This record gives sequence, structure tokens and C-alpha cells, in this order.
Amino acid sequence: MRSITREPSVVFVLLILIALMGMFIVYPQIQVVLVPGLDGYFNFLAGETWIKPLFNSIQIMLLSTTTAVLLGFIYAYAMVYSDMRWKPFFRIVGLLPLLSPPFVVAAAYLLIFSLASRMLGQRINVLGIGGLWIVQTIAFFPFAYQLIADVLSRSDPRLEQAARNLGASAWNVFRTITLPLARPGLAAATLTTAIYIVEDFGNPILLLGKETVLATQAYSLISGFGDFTGAAVVSTILLALALALYVARLRLEGNKSYVTISGKATSIPRPPVPRAVSNACFVACLLLAIMILLVYGVLIISAFVQAFPFNMTPTWKNFEYIGEHSLPLRNTLAFGGTAAIICALFGLVLAFFVQRKQWFGRGVIDFIAIMPAAVPGIFWGIGYATAFNQKWFEAIAYPLFGREGTPGMLIIVALLFWNIPIGYQAVMAGLQQIDRSLDEAATSLGASTLRGFRDILAPMLGSALLTGFVTAFVRAVTTLSVVIFLFTPGTTVATITIFQKVNDADWGGAAAYTILVIGMAVLVLSAVYFISGRRAGLQKAPGG
Amino acid sequence: MSDSKSSLNLSRREFLRLLGITAGVTTVNAIIAACAPAPTPAPTAAPPTAAPAAPTTAPVAPTAVPATAVPKPTGKISIYSALNQTTNDQLFAAFKAATPGVDVDVLPLAAAGELQTRITAEKASPKADIFVGGDRAFHDGLGKAGLLEAYKSPNANAVDAAYKQPDGLWTGWYLGIFSLVLNTERFAKEMAGVKKPTTWDDLLDAKWKGNLGYPDPVKTGGGYIFLATQIFRFNRDEAKAMAYMKALHANIAQYVGSSPQTITLTEQGQFIAAPNWAHDILTFKAQNKSPIELIVPENTGFEVGAVSIVKGGPNTNAAKSFVDWILTKPAGELNVKLSNRVAVLKDVPPAPGAPTLDTVKMVNFDWQWAADNKERLLKLWQTTVGM
Repeated sequence: MRSITREPSVVFVLLILIALMGMFIVYPQIQVVLVPGLDGYFNFLAGETWIKPLFNSIQIMLLSTTTAVLLGFIYAYAMVYSDMRWKPFFRIVGLLPLLSPPFVVAAAYLLIFSLASRMLGQRINVLGIGGLWIVQTIAFFPFAYQLIADVLSRSDPRLEQAARNLGASAWNVFRTITLPLARPGLAAATLTTAIYIVEDFGNPILLLGKETVLATQAYSLISGFGDFTGAAVVSTILLALALALYVARLRLEGNKSYVTISGKATSIPRPPVPRAVSNACFVACLLLAIMILLVYGVLIISAFVQAFPFNMTPTWKNFEYIGEHSLPLRNTLAFGGTAAIICALFGLVLAFFVQRKQWFGRGVIDFIAIMPAAVPGIFWGIGYATAFNQKWFEAIAYPLFGREGTPGMLIIVALLFWNIPIGYQAVMAGLQQIDRSLDEAATSLGASTLRGFRDILAPMLGSALLTGFVTAFVRAVTTLSVVIFLFTPGTTVATITIFQKVNDADWGGAAAYTILVIGMAVLVLSAVYFISGRRAGLQKAPGG
Repeated sequence: MSDSKSSLNLSRREFLRLLGITAGVTTVNAIIAACAPAPTPAPTAAPPTAAPAAPTTAPVAPTAVPATAVPKPTGKISIYSALNQTTNDQLFAAFKAATPGVDVDVLPLAAAGELQTRITAEKASPKADIFVGGDRAFHDGLGKAGLLEAYKSPNANAVDAAYKQPDGLWTGWYLGIFSLVLNTERFAKEMAGVKKPTTWDDLLDAKWKGNLGYPDPVKTGGGYIFLATQIFRFNRDEAKAMAYMKALHANIAQYVGSSPQTITLTEQGQFIAAPNWAHDILTFKAQNKSPIELIVPENTGFEVGAVSIVKGGPNTNAAKSFVDWILTKPAGELNVKLSNRVAVLKDVPPAPGAPTLDTVKMVNFDWQWAADNKERLLKLWQTTVGM
């Protein structure tokens, strides 16, 4: 392999990437992390108030990640391997939870369980760790499903076909071929899901009353005590937790080669799974789908009545209100779309440099690219608010984007870099399955690194790129905590309005906005699907 | 392969298209900004009675306001509001109608603590002109940090001295009384033989175990007012107050992250009862027709909702006109109508069924002491109940 220093254009692109990451990932973090000072850390740690939240965070992370990944795997396996009925239906239902802010799901579940309690005359308590476990499982398994499905569908059917031809049972094929091949994907999915769960803020704040997790403790410290120091320490503990997850991921991946895309063509179908397995898959997916659909049923009814469930008089008032107040939705589309597209491309180029090239500091950049996923959104937002709400930044940004445009730009940049791990990891997982010899062949034949990347790798990574785009988009349009300290009156987004409405107990209004956010996300997905003529990343768990 | 390629092209196209949308949004914003009158004070040609708070019954002597000191306010003001959205929509529309030439941008966040944090975070380059709503303690914290602009509105003369900061850093404009919301349906069904609570001590009955909600005192203004109320109720005997909170802890099912959310959960039947704001309980009941009831236990506490001007904001001059206006009688009446809160102006009647400081037995609520000791008391409470 040629050294990258021989190609100035490569070095140039790389340096720009690193500079941007330094400015928009590292700098805001450092602003906040340095706040406490050594004494601050010692004093806070000595107070021991962080021990219980840490324990709770780990406990709920283990519980929810296990179930979410398990359900995600079942769903993904069913979609990729089985020949069950209603796959298009399940594909769409599996997408829904990704498209709505998690705290809306939690609020809807509270309603559903209280309705069920009233009907059964028997109290079902969903407040507390148990309830959080249920709700997080349902809220996050679709993320695991998307990641796992992507990996499963990329593995080579020929290996499985060969094993079956040699007499291996379906179970043995699953155990010795499907599972090991899926391991890097599973590890990445588990890691990603675990980090989502450990930094989840909306669900615990709604469902955990007598307990705290690290993310809610950081928030309490700021909003209750104005204690940035304590919040910074707690967030640093969260970061440490994420680091542990990251190291675990590296160990899990091991040194085995999982290359299944090589220069040879493949187009054989997967071996059929037994009828009974397909049926079991169908039942499992149906149950999961019902749990998801309940939430959206409640949302739709709530949006069209006066005050669900007390006053069921039909009304258009919630949508009429939105007609007069559509700015949040327009902003959501513009900010989320722009951030997600740049994010996917950024992740693509960065992953290429990290995975395919040798250079000093590669490991550090890899870590920095993953780190944002470990940073609680609320902390990320505060970091941006304090780091860039400064005269010097305005001096640079105002001439470029104008006084009115700058806050919107800042939100886009915050969402973009917050989602970098999404685009980056999606491409990473894809690259690990593509044999190096392909792009090395191109460079051996005289193509430049950038040309080899553009003509050989990038086209093969189309699905990873779309996965990155779509996932980053839905995360950008559904996040609350990142934007809560960044939005200005002119740059309000839908999640802020929804949060406001949930707080105002205008549940119908919140439901109406949520439906429109989901509708908008569906439109964007459909547009990607329609224009590209192939299934977009998030929908990429086809049977064939 | 060619499929994949087209998807890449798509991304580029999409990217450009969305960039176009963003550019469109920013352009529209820029145009709006350009069309709005520039926020420069008009020349001294303004009439002497320039304060646009025309419909005031407050004893304002026109001669007391020198003409040059009050240029006619114009432009746009940025309001950080801790009020709920319906109130925001209608209150600010009324302000605009009463103050021609001034437009309003609202940043709504129904959590005063977060707005306080935000204003603090923005201190290098303040974005807000007005901070409205939320207990005076939040405003006072900002005032002590030197982030507020002192302004003594002429209309503040009608406000009781107890409800405003002497230097004019903030001014109280409404009162909220802390009470109890009861789910009548569950109470009737499950609490046979238990009388409806009339004192805070009634909530310690073992029958309430697991049936009470309570807005988290760390995260919510209301929750802390309740905690401070207990301390004043026991004549500042903190040990007794903490013993009460600990006994109450055993009955509490959940500490909720926001006060209104606590009422919502009580409406849904997650709790049978929960301490909360009287005005919000009345508003929710009327809005949702839900099976809840307002109870005002004796010896309770209250908040003074304040308004303040952020120092160094984009349009301080016009911000003053907002403070003037919100202290008028019509603004007070509108707020009473929209939110059931009690106006600080004596001549604004309370909403039907709303308790007032005269009709309810209050504790001797020393808000300044409560504000000064907030951190210590919250930490004491956390240690006491093991949170």
C-alpha cells in the first residue's frame, strides 16, 4: 500500500475532515469537560451521589439492550431469512418507532397502560425500572433491527447453501455460519443500541420517578442546581461507560475475516428455513407489530379528538393550529435533511480513510468519530451553546450566514456532528465486508486513492450510505435534547413544539405534530426509495 | 452496481435540493428581518406619554416620565417564556395589538429552570430581551449573577413591594398557589373510608402508599415550593420537615419531571392525588373534562411569577414596553382568563373557583430564605429520602 503522504490531495481532504471534527466534536466537549477542574471532579466524586445513578444506568442498559437486540435480531432474521407472509407490512411497522421522538412513545404507553388498567379494573404500574425496560425495548429494538438486518442481508448465501448441501441442519447452519458472519454487525448493533439506551433521556425522565440514571442526573444537576460542574462530571462518567462499550466492541470483533463481498458474482437465493420457523417468525413479528401499532393508533385517535380519552368529540382543531404554525415542521425538514446528507457523506469519506489507510492518529480519529454517540444530547447542546454563542464565532458566521441564518446553521452543524457515528459506523460495517483486494487492484493499476474510492468502493457502499443518511435523518428530526439549548424563536423545530405540548397537557396537539413528523419522514424515505429505484438503507431487509 | 451509483447521484441531488430549502428558509427569515422596522429608537419627536401601555389604571403621572427618557419602542423583541403555549399565543398577540410597531419572537420552554440555564449560557452574547413567567427565585438568581437589566416600570407602582425586586431587576405580575389534585374516580373506587385530605399531614395515611405523585423538587419550581412550604409549616424546624418528607416518600409512587405532567398522570389515574398548582389544576379540568378535583390544603405556599429584562439583549428599549404592558389591568385580566392564575394587581378579580391569598390559610413563606437555601435544602432532602 502506498503511503498517503505521496498523495497531497488525500492528505488535504483528510486534514479538512480532522479540522472540522476538532472544531465541532472535540472543542465543544472540551469546553464542558474542562469546566469542573480537578478539584471539581474530586469533590463531586467524593460526594458519591453518582454511584446509584451509575448503577441504575448500567442495570437498565443491560436489561433494555439485551431485549432490544434480541427482538431486533428476531425481527431481522424473520425479514431476511424466513419466507413469512406480510413482509412489506412488517417492514413499514418496524420503521415507525424510528420516526417519532422516543418520549412520545413513552407518553403513549402511559396512556395505553392507564386505559388498560381502567378497563381491566386492575392497576398495571409502568412507572419505574420495569416500565422503562418495556418502553425502551420497544423504542430501541427497531434500531437494532435495522443494523442487524443490514448485516444479515449482506452475508453471502452461498456459504449457507453449501453447508445445507453438505447435510448440515438449519439450526447448525444458523449456529456455525449465520451467527458468526453476523458477529461484527451484531457487536456494532449491540454497542450502538447500548449507547442509545444509556444516553436516553426522554423515556427515563417520563417513567423513572424515584430513581435516576446518569442522563437524567446530569439534567437535574443543571436545571435544579445550575450545577454545570456536577453535570460535566456525570457526563464524563457516561463517556467512560461508552468507552468501555467501545473497547468491548473491538474485542468482540476479533481478528477474523468476515469478508463476504469479493470480486465474484453471487446471485443464489438463501436456503429455505423450515416451515415451522417461518410460522414462528410470523407470530413473533405480528406480536411486535401490534405493540408498535397500539402506540400509533392512540396517537392518531388523540390527534383527532378534543381530549383523549376523556372527551372523544371529533375535531380538526389540532391540525388547524398546525396550519397556522407550520414553521417548526419546515425547519425540521430543512435542518434534518441537510444535516443527514452531509453526515452520510462525511461518514463515508472518514470511514474510508480509517478503514483502508494507514496513518498516524487513526485510532484517535476513530474514537472521536464514535464519541458523539456517547455524549448525552443535552450535554451536546449545552456544549454547542456555550462554545459557539461567542462574539468570535458570530464574527465568522454572521458574514457567511447572516444574523438570522446563523442559529439555523448551528443547529444543522450540531445535528450533523452528533450523528457522525451513524454515518461512520454504517459505512465501517460495510467496508469490513468488502475485500481490500478490490480497491487495491484499482490503485495497483494506477488509479489514485480518491479515484479508487470513488469508482470502486463508493458505489458498493450505496446501501451503507443510504442507511447512514436515513438513520441520521430520523435521529435529527426526532431529537429533543440536542436542540433544546440551541433553538431560537425563528429556528424552533417540531420536537420542541411536541415537548411543549406534552408539558402543557395538550396531548392532542402533540399527537398531531408527531403524526406530521412521521408523515414527513415517510415522505423522505419514499422519495429516496422512489428516486433511487432500490430499497433505502432503513428498508433494506428484504427477503430477496 | 449501476443501481448503487444512481443512489449516490441521488444523494448529491437530494443534498442540493435540501440545501436549497435551507437557503430558502434563511432567505425568508432575512427578508422578514429586512422588512421589519429597524430596532433603532425613534427620535425624541415621540410624544411625552410615549409608554405604549396606554390602557393602564395604575397611577402613572405623565409628568414623572421625562420625554427624552422614553423613546418610542420599535422593532422585534425576543421573549423567553415559561408560560404554557395557549397563554403565550394569546397574551403576546394582545401585547402586539396594544403596542403597534413592536413585534414578538417567542421562545417557549415551560421550565423556568431551563430558561434560567439558557440565559446564563448565552451571557456572552444575550439573545433574549424578556424572561417572563416562572417563580421570582429563577429571576432573582439571574439578577444576582448580574444578567438582568434594572427597570422600574411606572406601572410597577401598583405592585405590592413584597412582589418586586427593590432595584427593579424583576417584577412580579401573577401569583400561583400550591394545592392538591385528586383523581375523583380512583378515589371513590379505591379509598373507601378515607376522608379527602384537607391538610398536608393527611397524605401520610398508609392508605396513600404508592398512590401519590409529586413534581420532583429538584427539577420543578413547584416541587421545591412544596418542600420549602413544609419547612415553614414546621416553623423552620428542618428535622421535622425532613421527617415529614421521608414519611411522604414512602407513599409516593413517582417524582415527576414537570408539574403539568404530574396533573396529566393524575388525570390518567397513575396517581390518586398529587400536590400541584391550583391554577393548572383548574385549567386542565376545564380543558380536558377529566375526573379531577382541586383541593387547597391549609398552610400551603405560593409562587410569585415574575418578568425581567435580560441585560444586553437585542432590543432593551422595546423590552421595557413589554414590562409596562404586562403590568396593566387588561394584561392581568387576560392572564387570569387564560391560565386561572391570580394577578398581583388588586383590581383584577380572580378566576371563578380559584383560591387567592385572602381565601386560603398560607404558611409564612419567606421566599428569599427559600431561594438562598435552595441548594442546601434540596441536597438535604436527597440525602433524607435516599435519592
